[in-house]
Amino acid sequence: MRIFWVLFKKELRAFFVSPVAYIVLALVMVLSGFSFRAALSVLESAPSEGSIVTWTFHAMWFWLSYFFIFPLLTMRLFAEEKKMGTLETLFTAPVHAWQVVWSKYLAAVFVYCVLWIPSYLNFRFVDWITVGQVEVPEGALKGSYLILLVMGLFNLAIGCFASSLTSNQIIAAVISFTISLLHFLAGLFIMVVGRRVSETFVDIISYFASMEHIRIFTSGLIDTRPLVYYTSFALLFIAMTHQVVEFRRWRP
Amino acid sequence: MIEVQDLTKQYAGRTAVDQVSFKVEPGEIVGFLGPNGAGKSTTMRILSGYMPPTSGSAIVNGHDVFQASMDVRRSVGYMPEMAPLYTDMRVKEYLRFRAELKGLSGKMLRQRVGDVMDQCAITDVRRRLIGNLSKGYRQRVALADALVHQPPLLILDEPTNGLDPVQIRHVRELLKNLGPKHTILLSTHILQEVEAICDRVIMIHQGKIRAMDTPDNLTRKLRAASLVQLEIQGKGPFIPLLEELPGVRKATEEGVQDGYILFSLRVEARHDAREAIMDLCLRQKWKIRELHWQLPSLEDVFVELAATEASKA
Repeated sequence: MRIFWVLFKKELRAFFVSPVAYIVLALVMVLSGFSFRAALSVLESAPSEGSIVTWTFHAMWFWLSYFFIFPLLTMRLFAEEKKMGTLETLFTAPVHAWQVVWSKYLAAVFVYCVLWIPSYLNFRFVDWITVGQVEVPEGALKGSYLILLVMGLFNLAIGCFASSLTSNQIIAAVISFTISLLHFLAGLFIMVVGRRVSETFVDIISYFASMEHIRIFTSGLIDTRPLVYYTSFALLFIAMTHQVVEFRRWRP
Repeated sequence: MIEVQDLTKQYAGRTAVDQVSFKVEPGEIVGFLGPNGAGKSTTMRILSGYMPPTSGSAIVNGHDVFQASMDVRRSVGYMPEMAPLYTDMRVKEYLRFRAELKGLSGKMLRQRVGDVMDQCAITDVRRRLIGNLSKGYRQRVALADALVHQPPLLILDEPTNGLDPVQIRHVRELLKNLGPKHTILLSTHILQEVEAICDRVIMIHQGKIRAMDTPDNLTRKLRAASLVQLEIQGKGPFIPLLEELPGVRKATEEGVQDGYILFSLRVEARHDAREAIMDLCLRQKWKIRELHWQLPSLEDVFVELAATEASKA
């Protein structure tokens, strides 16, 4: 465990000494500001069913930034060490592969969580400035950040895996971006083809439709199915990353 | 300290190391010598616990490299080729990180990091970013990293690569001083290095061990005849008389300089023909300006090994 913390600290440090974390933070701050503004103007124009939380996470701005976060945060993790050859020094020190994989992954998760602090503060501020005039439903807020966290766990695990496959950061970024986006678009399949397909097919699709999950959670409902879905797939991708990193130790 | 038995490593159909067996006793400095791509780095990677062999076994400090990789890593200080380092870290910070990974902590950690920085003469750059350091400094940071947990065995892949002559001398001195307490296995393709610091040489070429002996014995065993150089003045015929001498195989005239004629004589290996040549010159009243026996260097051994390989192939 001590080794894990040493590695975890080093990974976190790497995020904040390079410009990457700050660039992503700025991107997310600006675009979550935009989506917040968009939500406010929806509520301003007409009475609406959804709360401010729902509208914020349905704004185009939100999804625009969302899929850029993961490749940017994860492309460096293994690809850079492979390229520089430091994986060799790392794995000739007495460290286990799981310590390396989890420290890198959890450092990325930590930074990901930090990214959402400004957007959370937006909601707190509106509460404070309007003295409770605009209703910020507590349950919806909690649900939104919970689903954001598990979707983050899922997509960051994909990014981690992509980075372990190559020594080129650009390729790692492209792979993780493609898988994340394809997964998202598959969830939109029903919206595209309508309900002409069979009932069971629609049911299956809705299990991994991120848009649908967001809709449920931002209305304050906590559905355990998406939570299990995202975390179990995250674990699968981390296990695969572990296998890729340990590949050199395989024997026929 | 190291026991290697029939070690083989194959990469996707290509055999990098082929049935290599050798032993290294505690306290020895052993040089791994071979051209690029001979299998030096692969062998060292296996011995440092980075990757397992395809077949065969390697025991390092009593631990099997595959079964007890962690124990092996704890007893080895490994410095990879090209000295890869985190370029965004500062020197001291990096060494502290590495020392923590290797299980040091507290007072011990601070003391060891200070010690190795002094030993490797990098104390004056301890606050600099590694990315901004010259090759020579980086190499020494990597060496400091290998030393920091006081491992009984050091495995160094081309430790003097990329250093200037002064730094090379410094590193060699350092390694010699580490000698009695540490066992060192180092690889190089520089022959003087082996001659300067190693107790024993293992020559490896195309994944196989070609020779294993002390540097002196290797040069002595050299099959190639050695050369005697001679500059004389006087009345000929020179060549028939010189070739009559016992042990001299062939004499050739190399040219004339300031009235002296230059000869090079190929003599039998291990046959010192100088006295006989001297006597001959005195008898013939030839004036001698130079009489020099050129000992074969490891370089000749090496070139010959490579050449015999090439002719076989």
